Parts: sequence; C-alpha cells; structure tokens
Amino acid sequence: MAEIVASKEMQEYFNTLESTLKKEIEIVNNARSKGKDPKPHVEIPLAKDLADRVENLIGVKGVAELIRKLEETRSREEAALALGREVAQGKVGTFDSKSDAIEAAIRVSVAMLTEGVVAAPIEGIDRAGIGKNDDGSEYVSIFYAGPIRSAGGTAQALSVLVGDYVRRGVGIDRYKPRKEEVERYIEEIMLYKRVASLQYTPSEEEIRLIVENCPICIDGEPTEAEEVEGHRNLDRIGTNRVRGGMALVLAEGLALKAPKIQKHVKKLKIDGWEWLDQLITGTKSAADDSGEEKKEEKPRIKPKDKYMRDLIAGRPVFSHPSRPGGFRLRYGRSRNTSFAAAGINPSGMIVMDDFIAPGTQLKVERPGKAAGMAPVDSIEGPTVKLRSGDVVRIDRIDEAYNLRQEVEEIIDIGEILINYGDFLENNHPLAPSPYCFEWWIQEYRKAGGDQSVDEEDLKDPSQDVALDISKKYGVALHPKFTYLWHDIENDKFEQLADFISENGILESERTVLRLPYDAALSSGVKRTLELLLVLHKISGGMILIEEPLPFIYTLGLDDELRKKWDSLEHEEVLDNINQITEFEVRPRAPTRIGARMGRPEKSDKRKMSPAPHVLFPIAESGGNTRKLENAASFKASTNAKVGEITVEIGNRICPACGVETIEYRCDCGEYTIPKLFCPRCGISVNKKECPKCGTKTTCTSMRKIDFKSIYQKAFEKVGERDKLDSFKGVKRMMSKDMTPEPLEKGILRAKHDLFTFKDGTVRYDMSDIPLTHIRPSEIGVTCEKLKELGYEEDIYGKPLTDPEQVLCLKVQDLVISYDCADYLLRTMQYIDDLFVKYYKVDPYYNAKTRDDTVGILLMGLAPHTSAGVLGRLVGFTTAAVGYAHPFFHAAKRRNCDGDEDCVMLLMDGLLNFSREYLPDKRGGKMDAPLVLTTRLDPSEVDKEAHNIDVCESYPLEFYEATQRIANPKEFEDTFDLISSRLGTPLQYEKFMFTHDTSNIAAGPLKSAYKTLGSMVEKMDAQLELGKKIRAVDASDVAERVLISHFLPDMFGNLRAFSRQGTRCVKCGAKYRRPPLTGSCQKCGGRVILTVHEGAVKKYFEVSMKVAEEYNVSSYTKQRIELIGYDMKSLFENDRSKQMGLSDFM
Amino acid sequence: MKEINVQEAFLEAGYQISPEAVKLIVSHSSPKDLVCYILEHIDESVFVIEIEHIDLPSFESEYPTSQKADSGTTSEASSHPGSQISQNSEVTSVEAPVNPVVSASPSFSSPSGYGTDRSLNTSIHANSNSKGNVNGNNISIMSDITDMSTCVGEYMEFVQYFRNRYSKLSDMIRGRITARPIESLNRNRKHGGGLKRSGGGDYSEVSIIGMVSEVRSTANGHKMLQLEDPTGSFLVLVHQAEKDLFEEASKIILDEVIGITGSLTNDGSLIVAKKIILPDLPNISHRREGTWGKAVFTSDVHIGSSTFLEEEWCSFLDFLNGKCDNDQMKELSKDIRFLVIAGDLVDGIGIFPGQEHELDILDIYDQYAKAAEYFSQVPEHIQIIISPGNHDAVRQAEPQPRFPERITSLFEDRITFVGNPALVDLDGVQVLMYHGRSIDDLVASIPGVSYQEPEKAMIEMLKRRHLSPIYGSRVSIAPEKQDHFVIDPIPDILHCGHVHTIGIGRYKNVLAINSGTWQSQTEFQKMVNVMPTPAQVPIVDLSTLRTTLLHF
Repeated sequence: MAEIVASKEMQEYFNTLESTLKKEIEIVNNARSKGKDPKPHVEIPLAKDLADRVENLIGVKGVAELIRKLEETRSREEAALALGREVAQGKVGTFDSKSDAIEAAIRVSVAMLTEGVVAAPIEGIDRAGIGKNDDGSEYVSIFYAGPIRSAGGTAQALSVLVGDYVRRGVGIDRYKPRKEEVERYIEEIMLYKRVASLQYTPSEEEIRLIVENCPICIDGEPTEAEEVEGHRNLDRIGTNRVRGGMALVLAEGLALKAPKIQKHVKKLKIDGWEWLDQLITGTKSAADDSGEEKKEEKPRIKPKDKYMRDLIAGRPVFSHPSRPGGFRLRYGRSRNTSFAAAGINPSGMIVMDDFIAPGTQLKVERPGKAAGMAPVDSIEGPTVKLRSGDVVRIDRIDEAYNLRQEVEEIIDIGEILINYGDFLENNHPLAPSPYCFEWWIQEYRKAGGDQSVDEEDLKDPSQDVALDISKKYGVALHPKFTYLWHDIENDKFEQLADFISENGILESERTVLRLPYDAALSSGVKRTLELLLVLHKISGGMILIEEPLPFIYTLGLDDELRKKWDSLEHEEVLDNINQITEFEVRPRAPTRIGARMGRPEKSDKRKMSPAPHVLFPIAESGGNTRKLENAASFKASTNAKVGEITVEIGNRICPACGVETIEYRCDCGEYTIPKLFCPRCGISVNKKECPKCGTKTTCTSMRKIDFKSIYQKAFEKVGERDKLDSFKGVKRMMSKDMTPEPLEKGILRAKHDLFTFKDGTVRYDMSDIPLTHIRPSEIGVTCEKLKELGYEEDIYGKPLTDPEQVLCLKVQDLVISYDCADYLLRTMQYIDDLFVKYYKVDPYYNAKTRDDTVGILLMGLAPHTSAGVLGRLVGFTTAAVGYAHPFFHAAKRRNCDGDEDCVMLLMDGLLNFSREYLPDKRGGKMDAPLVLTTRLDPSEVDKEAHNIDVCESYPLEFYEATQRIANPKEFEDTFDLISSRLGTPLQYEKFMFTHDTSNIAAGPLKSAYKTLGSMVEKMDAQLELGKKIRAVDASDVAERVLISHFLPDMFGNLRAFSRQGTRCVKCGAKYRRPPLTGSCQKCGGRVILTVHEGAVKKYFEVSMKVAEEYNVSSYTKQRIELIGYDMKSLFENDRSKQMGLSDFM
Repeated sequence: MKEINVQEAFLEAGYQISPEAVKLIVSHSSPKDLVCYILEHIDESVFVIEIEHIDLPSFESEYPTSQKADSGTTSEASSHPGSQISQNSEVTSVEAPVNPVVSASPSFSSPSGYGTDRSLNTSIHANSNSKGNVNGNNISIMSDITDMSTCVGEYMEFVQYFRNRYSKLSDMIRGRITARPIESLNRNRKHGGGLKRSGGGDYSEVSIIGMVSEVRSTANGHKMLQLEDPTGSFLVLVHQAEKDLFEEASKIILDEVIGITGSLTNDGSLIVAKKIILPDLPNISHRREGTWGKAVFTSDVHIGSSTFLEEEWCSFLDFLNGKCDNDQMKELSKDIRFLVIAGDLVDGIGIFPGQEHELDILDIYDQYAKAAEYFSQVPEHIQIIISPGNHDAVRQAEPQPRFPERITSLFEDRITFVGNPALVDLDGVQVLMYHGRSIDDLVASIPGVSYQEPEKAMIEMLKRRHLSPIYGSRVSIAPEKQDHFVIDPIPDILHCGHVHTIGIGRYKNVLAINSGTWQSQTEFQKMVNVMPTPAQVPIVDLSTLRTTLLHF
C-alpha cells in the first residue's frame, strides 16, 4: 500500500499506536480462545486505509488490492465506477448469480464513494435484482432502504450510475418502465415529501423525465406506513407503501445532483444519459433567475431567520437575526474552533445565565446552520449595563462571576470567532470583517510602523499612543477606541457631541471625561453611550469615561470640547465622522450573527432503555425492570420449577458431541453451530432454506431454560457473590440466532457499574469539539507523561519543559471529559476482571487511578457509520465534551456542529464486540465497529476537513476583501488550508491558530438547560434571559415557543388522545382500539390508555401565562383560548357541570 | 299528534326524549294525555326519556277513557296541511351534477296548492320572530350532542362507546342472522375438534356479528378479518376464489360492525366466510311524505380565508333575497324555506400550520361576526340551521357540540345552531347533518371511493349505518356514552361537506348530498391535487326530494 507521507516523528507515532494495537489483539485472541465468545478471535478487522475498509465492510475478498491499483491513475469517483464494473465482471470475488455480482459491485462502489465509513452501502442497499421488461429483455433494479440517506446525495446518485455501468458490463438491457409505473413514482415521491421530508422536491416533469430515461429501475423496500392511493398493486412494484430509499435516491440524488453525474457520464463517455442535459437545463433556468436578482443590487449580507424556526421551550435565543447587540463576527481560528465549531468568550457563557457551555450547540444565522461552542478568551466578551448604571465589558471569567448578579442589561453579547474555512466550506460570501486588532496591526506594519514595539503593547495601547500612531502613520484609529458608530443615527451623534461640548469636563490630564448623570439619562445621551459601547462608570452623580480623547476627537470636538463642525452632510454617521476627524474611523461591528441554542452538550454513558448489563434474554420473567435476580427466582405457576423461564432463544448444537446448548461453545471445547429448522414444516435441516417449502430456516424458538442454574453457575465461575445492586438483562435478543452473551460478562459489568450496548460494548458519548493544540496544564497530565507519549517539542520547536507550553495535538489523540475517563477506568478494571476471572489469563491494565488511563487506546465511532477509528487518550477536561483533532472527527464522518458520538475502550471492543449480537433488522449494522481504521490519512477523511485553515494570521487582503463581501473561493488557493498540505508531511504537523485561548474548559460545566428542572422552569429562564439581552425580543421568543412548541404539542396530544391506542399493563399487548371485552384479549390483564389527560393539558396553563405576560399576538392568544375550550369540552362532563354546588345543598 | 310536537312538549319541560320513546307515544291512541301523564310522573333525575320511562300499563289504568277521545285519527293524518302536496315517491334520479343548467330544471313548476302554502309561509314569519324553533313551528332537533357530552376521557368510556356502537349496529343485523357470541366458538375450540362432535350433519355453519378489529391480506392473497364482540374475538377468512364475496370483503373497513356466516375450519381456529351482512338500510321503507317548499344545502363557507369566494357568496345571498335577473331563479328563491349549513362556516384559526398566512380575518370572533353579518341578509322567511365542522371554534373531537354562547350571540336569534352530527326535522323531512371528516378515511380505505364523488363515500356510510366507522385515523372522537354516529333513525337526507366537491346521490330512498364549498383551491389542495367545486349549491324540493344544482 501507499505509505502515508509523514515526518519521522509522526511515523513513529503511528507505529507506536499500531504496535500497541497488535499487542492488544494478540492478548485478546489468546483470551477469546479460552472463553465462550462467538468467535475465538477478534471480530473487528483492521483497515489501514480506505481500500481495506471497503473490503472489510462489504466482505468481498481482493477488492482492496484492486482499489489501490485503480486509485493510482484515477480520481476517487472514477475509480469507484471502474471498481464496480470489475467486480460485476467477476474479476474479484465469487458470486452465485448475476444479480449477486451486480449487488456486490454496487455496494463496493458506494462504499468507496463514502470512504468506507458510513453504513449506507451495507444498510442502504437492500439488494439488486433482475426483472423482465415487457419486450422480454432483462433489466436491473436496485432496492434502496432508508439508511441510504447517510451516503449523501452525490453517492446516492452515483450508485445508480454504477448500476448502469455495471449492467452494461454484464450485458443486461435497460429498464423500460410502464406508464403506470412512472405515475406511481410521481405519486409516491410527493407522498414521501408529505410524510417525511425532502431537501429538494423534483417537479412532476422532472420525475417523469428521470424515471422514463433512467436505465436502472430504482426500487426500494417500504419505509413508511403510508400507502399510495392510486397506482396500487402494480406487477413489478412489490409494495403499495412508500419506499423512502427510492424517493431519496431519485429526488436528493439524481434530480439534485444531476450536474455531478453528468460530469462523470461525459468523462466516461457513457451513452443513454443524454436526458441529464434536459434535466439540468430545466432546473438551471430557475437558478438563473435568482442570479439576476443578485446583480441588481450591490452585495449585502441580509438577515436570515431560518435558525429561529422551531424554537423550543428552554432553549433561548441569544440574538435575533443580524440585530445590534448580537454576536459580533470576528474572523479567526482558535485551537479549539473551526470545522463548524465557533468560539465565544467564556464570560459571555456565564453572563448569559450559563445556557452556553463548551460543547453546546448553537443554531446560527451564518455561515452554516449550527455550530458547537468552545470557549475562547482572547476575543471580546459581553458588554453589560449594571444596576448601578455602569457600562462594563466583561472579558475575564472571574469578573463575570462577580458581576453576573448585578447585570441589568446585556447591551452586547460579545464576539463570536469563526474561521475562514467555515465560510469556504459553506460557500457563504465573506461577511464584512469588523475593524479588529489583527487587521489594524497589519495596516500599522504596512505603513511602516515601529517593528520593535511589543505586540502586547500594541494590543492595548493608551489613548495617547493610539492617537499618535494614527497621526504618525496615517492608519485608522485603533480598534480599542473605535466605537459602534454605525449603530446610531446622525441626530443622536449631533446630540451627543453637543451634550459633551456643553456639559463635559475633561480632567486628570485629559484621561477622564465627566458628564452629569441625570441630564445624560433624561436626554438619552446615556443610552447613546451604551449603544456605542462606550464604557463608563457612575460616581457621585457623574458619568466617568476613561481615556476619552479618541472618543472626543471622533465626535469632532477639540481639547477644549469645542465643536469643530456645524452640520452633517452624509447620511451615514461614519461617513460624517471620517469627514470631520483627522484620522480614519472604521466600522467596529458591521456583521452581527444571530444565534439560538440548539441542543445541549453531552457527556454521558451510552445506555439503552432500559439499560442492560448483559445481552441475555429473560422475557417477562424479570419484570419491567428486567432484573436477572427476579428471573432466577421466577416461578411460572405455584408448582413450577423455580428459575425456569420461557424465552425466545437460539438453539445450538455441538458438532463434536451432539449436545444441544444455548451457548457459542460446548463444554467439550468445540464451537457450536445453530440448529436450524423450518418454522413451517418443523423439520430440522442444516440449510438456510427449507428443502421442502423454501421458507427460511431459523434456530430460534420459545424454549424453557433453567435460568437459575445458569445464573448460579456464572456467579460461581467468576467467583463473585450475588450481591449486585442491580443486574439487568434484556427482554429478547435482537440478533438473528438469538444466542446470548455469557452471563459472566454481565456480572462483572454490573460489578463495575457499566452498561452494555446492543453489540456487547461499553460506550461513552460526548459532543464533538475540535482541538489542534494542547497545554499540558489544562489537560491534567504532566510534561513527563506527555514526553513518554511522544510530545517532545512545542509549536515553536522548543523542548517541552513547562506545562504552559503549547503543543500540537497528534491526530489520533483525544482529550476527554473527566467523567468519561472514570467510566473508562472502570471499563479497564472490568476488562482485567474478565481476563482474570473469566478467561483465566493475566490482567492487562492493572489500572488503579484515573492517571493510569492516559495513553490507553480507544475507539471512536459515530452513529450511522460502521467504521471505528483508533484513538489514544492523552488528557482530560472538565468540559463535557470530547476534544479531538478535527481529522479524527472527520474520519468518523462528523463535523463539530454540535453532534455527538461515542468512544469505547479499544480492548473492550476487541474482546466483547461480535457481529453475532447485532440486531437482525434494517439499520442493525449501523453504529457498530465493523472495521477499525488504524491510521488516519487526511486524504481519506471527510473532505470537509480539508477546508480548515491552519495559519497564524489572515492576510490583509482578506480583511479588505470581506468589505466587498467577496466569494470565499477567491482565497482558496492562497490560504494555508489543509487541502494545500495534503500529501506532504505538513498534513499532520505545524498547524497554527490565530487566536489563543487560555483554557479549553472555561465556562459553565453544564448548560443551564440541563440543570433546570421542569419545562416551565426552563421556559421562564429562557424568557428572563431574553428580557436581559438587547438583541432579543422576548415577546417574539415567547410567541415563537408557543407557536412552534407548546401549541403543536397540545394540538397533537389532543388529536392523539382522541385517536389513541391502548395497552395492556400486564403483558404489554397493544391495541389500536380498546377491545370490546374491556380487558386484554391475550392475557386478560387490565388495559389502559396510552395518552392521558395530563399529557394533553400539561402546557396549557404555562401557555396562558406566557401569552398574557409577554403580550403575544391576539391570533396566538386566541389559538390557546380555543385549545382550552377544546380540552374543557373533552374532559368535562356537561351534565355534571349543570348540576352546580347548590344542587347538593 | 306529530313526533315533533311530542318532542317540543318535552323540550319545553326541560327533557330530552329518545326517538324510540317519541315513536311509542305517537303510536299510542291518546298521545296528548300520555305526554301529560309522563311529565307528571317522570323522575326528575332523568334527563333523556327512554322507552322504559313510559309506564303504559299504569297510564292506561289511570286514563281508561282517553282512548276513545282520540280514536279514529292516526297521528299521521292529523298533521299539517303541507301533506296535501302530492307524494312523489317515484323520484329516482337526480339531476346530473356535472351538467347543472338551472334554467332547464323541471322542478320549477310550483306545486299545486301553492296558495295555501303561501298563507302558511307568512305564519312562519310571525312565529320565527320569537326564539326560533323551540316555540315550535317547523324545525326540530331530534338528536344532537350539545350540552349532553358526558365524556371526561377515561378508558372505560372508550370501551363503552364502542360497546354502544356494537350493540346498536348488531341489533340491526341480528334480525337477519342467528348469530352466536364469539366466546362460544373459542370455548369449542379449547375442547378440541370444533363443533364437529356436538352438531353432527352440517355442523360447521356458524354466524357471528362482530366489530372489525383487523383486516389483512394473507400470503396467498386471501383476506383475513378479525372480528370482535363483547365476549371475545375471532378470525374470519375470505377466500380469494369466491369472487363476489372477496369483492365485498375488500370494502370492509376497520371498526365497522358486520355479520358473517360461514363454516368453521376443522381445528376451529377460523371461520371461512360464505356471506357478509352489513347493517344497511332496509330494502322496503315507507317514505315520509315530505313537506312543501325547498331547502338549500351548503357547507364549507370558510369565511375569513383569503380564498373565500366573497363575490360568489354575495350573489348567492342576493339570490336568496330574490335579487336576480333570471325570473325563474327569482321564483325559485321564493320557495326556499330552509338554509342548511353542514360545518366549516369560517376558516378558523390554527387549524393547520401557517394558516395565518392564508387568512383575511385573523380574529376568530371577527370571522364569526362577519358570518353573522352575511346571515342577517338572509330573508327572514328562510330558516337557517348551522352545524360546526373541523374549522370551527368548537372541540375538534366528534361529536362536536354547537357553537358556544360567545359565538351564537353574535348571530340573530332566528338561526338554529346544532351540533355535528345532528338529526333535524325540517317540517317532516328529516335531515342528518354531518360535516364529513370521515370521508377522508373512507376515501383512503374503500376502493372506488374518491374525492371527486363524495356521495359514494356517503352511501358507504349508509350501508354501514354509521357516519364514521374508522377509529384512530383522521377523525378524532370523544368517547361519549352513546355512539352518535350510528345512523338511526334513517333520515330522508344525509347532508355532508368537508371535501369541497359537490356530490349528489341516492341510496334506497335516502338522498345523499355533499354540498361543496365557497372556497377556491387552497395551497394544501394544490399540493394534494384536489380540485374543489366551489360556489355550487344543491336545492332540494322537500316534497319530491328532487335536487337542482345552482351555480354562482
């Protein structure tokens, strides 16, 4: 395979990881050969690169080599197409039938297109089939399933092209649809859009064009309960229900990504796809229209309120769209932002009532839809008005804690740090940059400013220095003294200048300006100062403004506070200022970014519900809590044997001694095989299909097992006493053969208070946040330990000696939350216990304290994917997030916009994971480590990561270009992006950032959303915060919450109440309608409603209250009122009402 | 004494009375005395007077003489002068709604005895100035949920509701088959061998009556039904080979009550159906005589919506006032005695997401005020009856009560408000008004029933003797003690709306009218490709039940 290009140190790093991994695999192989695991060896194949991953994921031998060969000369997409063809032609792998070969070919191609990570190729494609055209020829149909969604539009569309390419290779004709089939597609896609949703809905003509011309029949399995109303019972379409996978591939794939397919069609010169031209020109004309609109006016950043949609109670709005007082955009990247994560000053998190914590997702106005939040304290914090009338900016977190009780209004919520790469990735025009220090200093240097002056001094100059520099070098006024002039109108400006001229007193060597407080307040001048973010204090009835000279000059006043001008000529205040002052003043906050809370951060163990310790089925014998102890003492009837339970379980047989068992391994040491039988004929056959009737055979049946003895034996074997607080199993196995895990594993898990997931692993979920650099001090690890782990030098090449030095994080290293570390520590102890007590081998970790976890190997795995990524633990953070290198997140196919995924102990995965436990249903193979990526190649991670900028500063031209709202693509080639470093050793090293942060864990530990109790409490807090923030209209928030959360909830529950199903409390049987007998038809148990009066009414009172208090629109008020009447009519008896109290007296 | 008079007598005294009880009283030889007797002796705690509250033996022992007084005259004969209008029971066809040229309508000739009617007409005027129907001229509400809702949302209420449906509908079927309780079949099965041993001969022929709880197709393409009665549930197989039967079975919908005759399989686990019996309307039923004049049926006015067709609506109001160029129309308008509106008077608020963007009037009460303004323009000789629909400001769950006081008070007193559904008697012609929410379900479930021909859905209702059989789908229900959706007694006219398409049909002497809308195509309808037929109004001649369709 092609070696990854990396420096010697990085190669060493990878080698260390891999050798440790190999060692661990050996240990596990040895252990597994001794226990009762499904297989005597590790079940997660390793993949060094994409080729390996594809081969392991799909399981066609020889594919990896072919991929490597094809990739030498072709692009990824071309290689994928060629690969499909070669597989179909049988160059690699062996298949029983033509359709099997086609199916495999399509799968490998899609796998390759999706980097071999997501589950789409295995779960999203059900099968490929061959059907008959009306003229007798054959055609290929591909059956898509719901999870094809995870492949993304391009890969979905290309999978169809692959199908076509492949069918030509094996000589099958095209699909010739019947007329009614075409109409069926139209009806079905429209229906799918109604019941689910589509990013893009093609018009009827587009659908007709696609279906009539597409050479492959796009079919699918039914995913929705809805059925089409017309076009039912068609010969060649197996279902009347809606096929979600089909709709996705056709609409979001073929229709939306037509230009991309066309590119490949042209390159490969495939005929029969000429209709794409028509599809593209058809859709293009619409695009042209919008293009013309743009030309008419000069580029402008318009407010977007999409992020405000579907507001939920308890998740506050921090700023309305582009509103003064909202987040001020600042360009740059800190070591814990980029890749859809943005930074704000942690004091802002505190001041905004703790709603934002590191890792909290914010829905933002731009550039993307959402962003994970990270603390960056080198940017400006919020500016607040205190109860005393003082206006202060809070940049330091200790100040924030001191002052938070005093805050009367949050005039400005501070800056938000967003990197250029995120604008590039989202293809969002560059919004005008504020005049900030990074820009100013470049102009200063360009103007020939004194290079010897320390940068720190220039960051925070005195008023005299700032004015001197402006005068001497002709650079614009320093950002420190630039106020938000664009937020006020000319009349306010004039009033302010006059007021200061008349009432101002300049004293203490012109370092303090005093203004009379009462007059300033009543005239509105005080408010103007607040809006300008001119900081001031109130003392002795006077407003004190420190370092006022630049401010005074900007107002066009002289040292004696005399006004030097008479009238204002321009419309814009800033234009006027630049006319009357001697220095240039730039816009300080031209771009504001609206935001609201998305979902809270997460750092918690993964638990199924109810959370089992072991995958062992006990049906109802353990009660609702699934307690194994109860099952062990269960008695079916008074005379029944204690601990004998009836469960659905797989039957296995030992090929050596013929003993039947439920375990993977016979006591004689031989591995057992499922004892298959036909569920229809009842005959026992060792084949997948019944030879008599063709039904699929199974080994599962309802059987009585002596659970008590299994239970007792297991405890005996591991030498533990039956003293566990809680020890739970599952109701029913979801796997195909329904063979349970060894109970011993569960005992030890329960002992260490660990829960298992559906595949036998122990997992911990955390919000993803990127991290490119660490300081030893902040991650709780000593320099010595880090040196052991290969961290020799800091970013400046100095040897690591001081815990405050900044180090470049290695790509597969992780910084996790303390809670996660503790959970992993317990997992390590559990693994050791398993080794010693169950497998009877030596312990591996011998871990006692949290510090022992540093350096252990982990596996990262994201939902909807099937490939784990090897990682290593290097440190801890108090923040409730999983910090890792952006490449690591990208390798899992995640960005950092507030999503979460899991880590697990590598050893746990190796030892306890088995495909045999995976649910035998659609989607069952998702979120399972079917392969493990051992070495992270930046070229093979999600391409989004290639747009991360890693430079130390942004060029002057960049800041200037933002003023004309340039397209980010202009800078794609000049910026220091990952994409420019690919294939060189620098792809792993020497990353930089523009803004530092002193602590990656600063800010609240948990979002207030998680600490507040009821929904009503959350809503109250949300509205209280809304009232405090200037950029938020609390009554609009209230109305939106009512409209998008409470009203639909009440409305929906009312509907649900009147259409509800019922449920038996005893056996859980569900009824669409209450049985006429009144009680459960299956067990005679009591049947109850599933929707209760309380659920319907729960938000009514708070809705009424909020509607009144925040004076929402009368429309919304009336809606609430009507719902109230509706509830009353439904839940109150008219006739008991008529009988008043007096009737009883 | 007529049925209406009996009802009014009890209403005035503050009682409701069941139709059965009314029949009993009317059929008695001296109804007036009987009414007095009942009112004197009735227990005050009783709210609805049922048959069991009428103690005939003691009445007859107390009033032995009264029999003579009224003897000879049947209650029917002593009724209105209106009954002089010639009977027209031979009316079979309805004017084709597709081609409704008004001027060509043959129903324009005024009935004989017009003069008499005229005089009576004025007398109605006099009466209707005071509080509408209660004072008793010619509208009477025979059943309606308003102020009778007992539901508080408990599980047992749901059970009772469905049991009530079962008992009412199964009684209709029971006359035609000898059905056995389902439990008895299960018992036999448990003892093994089905009915084989006990019966002998044609042992396995059984009949059951059950509520359908599941319908599915088997792997071999047969239909499998699960039927349920208050004793248990049982499976019924309809064989694909039995073409006609299978066809019938494909129309079976959830939660309707049907009878099945068939044979038990050997193991006694299911019945193979031979015959399916629906409650249905009786084949022979005497037609009520009807009355004179005409009634106008409409619905789905959607006042307040930006797609409300105000211009067309106003010309309709002009027509009611006799203000139209066409003389025939003018004449026609004079004949109109009733205006019946089956729901969705206004567009409402918050009915669907984003509705505020499709409204001209955002305030719900302003919408009704506007409606009231329109109705004040309707001439006073026309009686107006309004029931609510799913857009109206009453509870969504059906049966819906009439509008609350706050809304009715906006209107003139002469308007009669009823619930949904409601059975009203228009001077002898019984009209069952139901908004028609369930048509959505019926269209989705019964092959061949579509939005273009809503009358077909309504005929399916009549066959099932139920307005809204399917539970848990689009219709919200309130679990009341009585199933108000059961069609009993059989009306002369079934009037629905909701789907915004005109449909007129006839099934065994019942006229089914879906009265269209006054709203042009909405955004939602555009999306689902429904073409409404707005501003078309069916007018029914109450003596012949002949229907004419007017376009505005």
